[in-house]
Amino acid sequence: MPNTLNFRDYLNFAERYIRYAEENSTNSTDLEWLLIPSIILSWTAIEYFVNNRLFDYGSLPEKQFELHERAFLLEKKITFINSGANLGTFTLGGNEYKRLEDKIFFLISKFSPKKEKNLKGKSLWQSFQEFKTLRNNILHPRTNKNIYIDIDKAKKHLDTSKRIIQLISEHLWGTKTVF
Amino acid sequence: MEIIFEEKSTKDEKVIQLVEEFLDKIPTLEKKHKMPMIVFQDGVNGAFYIKCSILAEIVTNLCDLNAKLDIKNPESFRANRELLLKNRTYLKMKEDASKGREFNDIIIEYTRDYDQDTPLKVWGGQHRINAIKQAGTDKNHYHGFRIYFDLSPKQRTEVALISNTNINVSNDTFDRMVEETTFGNRLRRWCQLANLLNEEEDFPDVGARSEKITVKRARSFIVNYYLGKKRGKELMETTLDQNAYEPYLTGMGVSIDPKYSEIMNSENILKDADLIEAGKNFSALHKTQYKAVTDPNSSIENRKSFRTKAFIESVLCGWSYVAGLLQNNPERLANHYRIPKTNKKIPDPLNAKEMSEFKHDSDKPTYRGLGTRSSSKDRQRIAQLFLAKSRENNVYLDKSFMNKAVSQVMGILYTSQGYA
Repeated sequence: MPNTLNFRDYLNFAERYIRYAEENSTNSTDLEWLLIPSIILSWTAIEYFVNNRLFDYGSLPEKQFELHERAFLLEKKITFINSGANLGTFTLGGNEYKRLEDKIFFLISKFSPKKEKNLKGKSLWQSFQEFKTLRNNILHPRTNKNIYIDIDKAKKHLDTSKRIIQLISEHLWGTKTVF
Repeated sequence: MEIIFEEKSTKDEKVIQLVEEFLDKIPTLEKKHKMPMIVFQDGVNGAFYIKCSILAEIVTNLCDLNAKLDIKNPESFRANRELLLKNRTYLKMKEDASKGREFNDIIIEYTRDYDQDTPLKVWGGQHRINAIKQAGTDKNHYHGFRIYFDLSPKQRTEVALISNTNINVSNDTFDRMVEETTFGNRLRRWCQLANLLNEEEDFPDVGARSEKITVKRARSFIVNYYLGKKRGKELMETTLDQNAYEPYLTGMGVSIDPKYSEIMNSENILKDADLIEAGKNFSALHKTQYKAVTDPNSSIENRKSFRTKAFIESVLCGWSYVAGLLQNNPERLANHYRIPKTNKKIPDPLNAKEMSEFKHDSDKPTYRGLGTRSSSKDRQRIAQLFLAKSRENNVYLDKSFMNKAVSQVMGILYTSQGYA
């Protein structure tokens, strides 16, 4: 096992679960135990990729960004200081986690030389939203929310994960990621 | 014996005198048959030579395999590569010689300016001469020679280079020859002062097979130090960390790298105490790394790429660039010179194993890891790693440190290239 996993590993694991499900599909209709991990791993690959791009920029010297941008990159709160030597100024405080889609919007808007017109109206984004809903339903289950997963759906979300990573890669680096 | 200048060559009295002396002292087949001797002149470098045949028994006694490029300098080392006595081609050559094979177009310079007992200085065909020597005089055949006379240092280097282009001579050997002809022994001496070479030690013939510093690497160290120093003067202390830097890798082979040449013509590397100090600190890092990896109790695999991690081109270039960059910042320079901490988990200061496993997400899956090759990307990353290290007093080059440094250089690069 590699000592640190990266987005390629997560995608690879997701793919292996799907392959295993395909191999077992003739004998069993009960494949959720394989497809649920696949969905989670595909999502984790995007999380990994996005968080590490924030880390790249967040590693730059403080003065490179406005305080609110730095707060976003580091997922910290902006806190007002009302005592001590820095009285009346702002600083970064405790954690304040951002939504994954907001991080994607920020990365593209702030760091890409190409403007992304109407990202939310594209089919990729619709797929991402479907993917997100399914992932949330898996992680926050309720009896009134049905979870329906089949092999095609797992494959589709794996593909969405790769396409989102590719989109960010092309915007930030101007190159395609090799999976 | 009649000496004739070939129609495209210019008659030269000194050459006539030397050819006469040669014919007087060395028995040749042409002399035996009273044939006229023709003097040719190289159309490119103007060097004079004759073609003749000499018996093996004469060759065995009068040839010198330790020819020197700079005759006047007593510190000039032998210029030819080491003989490859186990090489298959050589073994075949030796077998052929013992069966009576005649060899031709062996390149010799005739000079009695040093080691007078062996005036036939071999520039091309040292393996053939050695094979003839090994075969003994049982098969006392005539062999064909080109004998050069009155060579200038520049002509001598060129003769040495063109004589070696048809056999497997490394660029490191070329570098060593060109270096000595152009700048004398300054670079070697500098390496000795910086503890990168021992006294009386020379650069290796083939860098890939050696664990010593090569001419190319020593040149790269010096160029990067001065490039970094120049850049450091242009920057404010507060902006040092806001830039990505591009350490330089000098070219190798028959022509001298222009940046290196410019520096050697404008700086006195033997008198620059700060440069020598940088070299000494780098040498200390290399030696500590080497010792840590070769220690029998070490948990790290004893591999050449781990032992000589400091000499990997990206590591050497990045380190020396940062040494130059921080010359006006004594506190950070002292941090840079301080050897990184080690512990049981990271037994070597350069943490070679983890470095070789490191990948950024933008790297292709085939990327071989940080500080493993000479590419520009790798040199930039290593410079950033050492620059980040210089901000702190005492650090481990562990994975999270590498991550932060590389993320930083990626962030800077992608923002500075317009992706912002």
